[in-house]
Amino acid sequence: MDSKEDEAATPELLSFFYSRIFPFKTYVNWLNYETESNNAFKNRELSFTLASDAYIRYNSYNGEEDLKTEIMKMCPTKIDIGAIYTIKPKDKKSMRLSAFRPVEKELIFDIDMTDYDEIRTCCSGASICHKCWKFMTVAIKIIDVALREDFGFKHLLWVYSGRRGVHCWVCDENARKLSNESRAAIVSYLAVIKGGAQVRKKVQLNRTLHPFLRRSLRIIENYFEDIVLKDQDVLGSEENWSKVLNCIQDDEIIKKLSNKWNGSNSKSSVQKWEELVNELEHAASVSGRKLSKKAEQLQICKLEIMFQYTYPRLDEAVSKNMNHLLKGPFCVHPKTGRVCVPIQPDDCENFDPFEVPTVSSLYQELNLYIEGERKVQDYEKTSLKPYIKYFDNFVKGTSKEAREKNRAQVSMEF
Amino acid sequence: MFSKRTLVSETGEVKNHNQKYPYRLNFYNIPPIEEITTEEFEVFALDRLQVLKAIESASLRSKTELQVADHIRDISNQYLPLHSTEGAKNYPLEEERRKDHISHFILRLAYCRTEELRKWFIKQECALFRIRFIEENKEERQAFLNNERLYWNDLTQNEKESMKNELSQANPHIKFNDETFFIVNFEQVPDLVARRAVYIKAGKAYVPISEQVTLVVVEFRKRLSAALDLASRAFPSIDDERILPLLNNINQQYLGKAYVFNNDTIVDKVTADNVDQMVGHFPLCMMHMHRKLRELHHLKHYARMQYSLFLKGIGLTVEEALIFWRKSFSSITDEKFQKEYAYNIRHNYGMEGKRQDYLPLNCNSIIMHKQPGPGEQHGCPFKHFSEDNLKVFLTQTGVKKDEHLKAILDIVKGKHYQVACTKYFEITKCLEDSISRGDGERHLMETITHPNSYFKQSVTLSKINNSQNSK
Repeated sequence: MDSKEDEAATPELLSFFYSRIFPFKTYVNWLNYETESNNAFKNRELSFTLASDAYIRYNSYNGEEDLKTEIMKMCPTKIDIGAIYTIKPKDKKSMRLSAFRPVEKELIFDIDMTDYDEIRTCCSGASICHKCWKFMTVAIKIIDVALREDFGFKHLLWVYSGRRGVHCWVCDENARKLSNESRAAIVSYLAVIKGGAQVRKKVQLNRTLHPFLRRSLRIIENYFEDIVLKDQDVLGSEENWSKVLNCIQDDEIIKKLSNKWNGSNSKSSVQKWEELVNELEHAASVSGRKLSKKAEQLQICKLEIMFQYTYPRLDEAVSKNMNHLLKGPFCVHPKTGRVCVPIQPDDCENFDPFEVPTVSSLYQELNLYIEGERKVQDYEKTSLKPYIKYFDNFVKGTSKEAREKNRAQVSMEF
Repeated sequence: MFSKRTLVSETGEVKNHNQKYPYRLNFYNIPPIEEITTEEFEVFALDRLQVLKAIESASLRSKTELQVADHIRDISNQYLPLHSTEGAKNYPLEEERRKDHISHFILRLAYCRTEELRKWFIKQECALFRIRFIEENKEERQAFLNNERLYWNDLTQNEKESMKNELSQANPHIKFNDETFFIVNFEQVPDLVARRAVYIKAGKAYVPISEQVTLVVVEFRKRLSAALDLASRAFPSIDDERILPLLNNINQQYLGKAYVFNNDTIVDKVTADNVDQMVGHFPLCMMHMHRKLRELHHLKHYARMQYSLFLKGIGLTVEEALIFWRKSFSSITDEKFQKEYAYNIRHNYGMEGKRQDYLPLNCNSIIMHKQPGPGEQHGCPFKHFSEDNLKVFLTQTGVKKDEHLKAILDIVKGKHYQVACTKYFEITKCLEDSISRGDGERHLMETITHPNSYFKQSVTLSKINNSQNSK
C-alpha cells in the first residue's frame, strides 16, 4: 500500500474528525465498564502522540466532556490506551511511587505484517497488498477461536491498525484482571513460531498434536495452498524454495528436491509442494525406519512447514505486561489517513484494508451529504456508519457483562 | 514436649506414630512453638540454606528434573535428611521433621525483608517442595492432601469419556483409563498452559493427576507468598539482640550472585570510538549484536537493551553511549534518534523514568528470558542459534579445529550453554592445553555466568599475556 499524499491526515482533517466523527461517548463508556461516577475511566491512562511528535504519557480524564475538550485542543495523531491504575495517572507525580500501580487492563494482541517479511514475497516493510493481507485473515481466525473456545473469553474487539496489521482487545472482566504471569502463559500457549533471525526452522511439533494445534491446522489447511503456494509462490524461485527446504532435516532430501527443481522451470509451486510431500512420505516409510524418531520427524515436517508459513506471528511483548500501551480504535493513521476500524472476526475474510474509510473521504462524504427530513448523527452520513454501529454494539455487550456482575456483587453483599 | 503415641494396628503390628509430624510433607502453616538453643537456631538455618543453594545451582546448570532430584537427595541426606513414613524404623523421623519445620521458619524470617530475597526464597522452597512431593508415594500424598483439606473437582467417568480424544491428544503419554482429571481455572496452572501440557476449554484446564504436583505447588507458593508478606511487616518489631545478628549472618552467607556495576573499570577508558577495538574481548552474544549493529545500522529493542547494559558494565558512560548509538544508527536523522532511542539509553543509566540503575544482564537471564523472534538479534548464540549458524559463527570467530568445534557443539546439544561459552573462551584464548591432554571434563576456569565477567577475564588474561611477552 502506498500512502498517497492527499490521503495523509492533515491537522485540519484530524481536527474535523475529532469534532464531528470520533465516538467519544461510546469510547468512554467502553473504558469505564459501568463503574460508578466514571471511576474506572478516571484512573485509566491515555497517552497522546502529537503532530510535533511529542509523546505525552499519564493523561487521565474525568469523562466524555473532559476528554473531548482536551483532544480537540491537542489534536493527537495517535491515542494509546494504557491500564487502569490505583490512582488517576495525571496525579502520578504527587504520589509515592509504590502507590501508583496498574489494577486492570484488557488482554491485548498485536499482529504486524512486518513480522511476516521472511515468508512473504509480494511486499515487505510497511507495504501491504491483497495477497499478503490474507495472512491477517488466517491470524484472526486462529486466534479468535482459540481465545473464545479454549480460554472462554467472549468480548473480543479486533481493530485494524490503520496500515499493516491488526490488534485484538479482550475485554472480559476476568481478562482485564489477569496477572502478568497468566498473560505470558496465554501468549506462550498461542506461540508456535519460535526463533530469531538466526534460526531457519522455527516450528517444532510432536507426533501427537494438542487439540489447539489440531484446530489451528484445520484452519491452516484451508488457506495454505491459496496463500502460500499460489499467491506467495514460495517454491517459485530458488531463493525462496531453499528457505522452505532448509526446514527439512535431511540433507539428502534437500539435495534431491533442489536438483529436481533446478532442472525444470515449468512446475508450479503447487506441483513442487506435492513432490516435496511425496518425498517426505517416501523417506519416512522406507523399511527399517518406520517407527524411528527420524521417521516421526519426516512425517511431521510437512505440518511444521505449513505452520511456519501460515501460522500467526504475534508480538509477544505487547501481551505479556499489564503496563503495555496500545493504540486505541478509531484513531486515524497519520500516513495512510485510514481510520482504525473494528473488524468482524466471523467476516474477516471479507475485510479489505483498501476499502477502509480515510479521514479525507469522510470529509468529502459529509460535504456531499444532502440533508433529509430525519435528523441523523454526522457519522451516519458517512461510510463509517457500520463500523461505529458495530463498536456501539460491542460496548453494549461489555457494559451488560459489567452490570450483571455489579448486580451479582450487590446481591452477595446481602 | 509431646508424647509419642504407640498404635497397635489390626494385624497386631506396633507402629510409632508421630503425632506432631504425621507426614513428611509440610505446608508450614503453623509456626513452631518450642524452645531451641541459639546454636540449633543457626545450625538448622545454615543446613537448610545448603539445600536451597544446591537447588539453585542445579537449576542454573540446567540438569534434568531427575538429575536435580538425585543431587538434592544427596545434599539433603547430608544436611537436612527427611525420610518418608515408611522409613519409620530406620530413621529418627520426628527429629528430622522438626528440624525441617523449624529451619523453614527461621529462613522465612531471614528472607522476608526485601522483594528480591522473598522471590529467591519462594523459588527454591517451591522447588524443594516439588521434589519431595514427587518422591512421596500415592497414599502418603493423598493422606497429606486430605489432612490439608486440599481437594479439586474432578471429571466423572462419563465426562471423561466424552472428552476422551481431546484429553488423550493433550496428554499422549498417560494411561487414559487409569487417569483422574482435575478441573481448575486455567489461571491456576500458568506453567501447564504455557507449555500446552493440558487440555483447556472455556477457561477450564483439565489437569491429569500426574500433573497434580503443579496444582499443589501453586497452592504452596500462594500460602508461602502470603506468609512472607506478613512476616516482612512483622519483622521491624523483632528486637531480640540474639536473633538479629544471626539472621543477618544468614543473609550474608548467600544472597545470590549479582554482578555489581562498580566504577573501577578494568580497561582504561571505553569511549564511543574504541568499542570496535574491544570486540575481541566480547563474549559471542555481544559480538553478534555488535556485528549486526554495524551491518544493519540498527538493533531491535531487546538487543539494544542487552548490549547497552553490557557496554555500561564495561565502563561506557552515558555521554559516550549516546554518541556510540547515535553514530551506529547512521541511517536515521538526529531528530528520529532523539525521539525514539535517546530516552531508552538514558533510561538504562537510571536517568529517566523511575531512575533505576539497571544491572547488566547475567547469562541466566539472557538464556531464559525472551526468546528472540523474527528479526531479533538478542539472546545467547549457544542457545538461540541453529546448529549450522552456530558452527559458521564459531568458525568465523576463531574455532578452527574440527575437534574443538565438535566439543563445543556436543556441549550445546546437552543444553549446557554457559559451559559451551566457557569452552569457547578457553579455546579461543589458547588455554586448551588441558583439552589436548585428554581430561576434557576439567575446566580451567569457573563456568561463565555473566557476559561482563567474560569480558573482564579476557582483558585480564591479555594483560597478563602482554606483560609476560614484554619480559
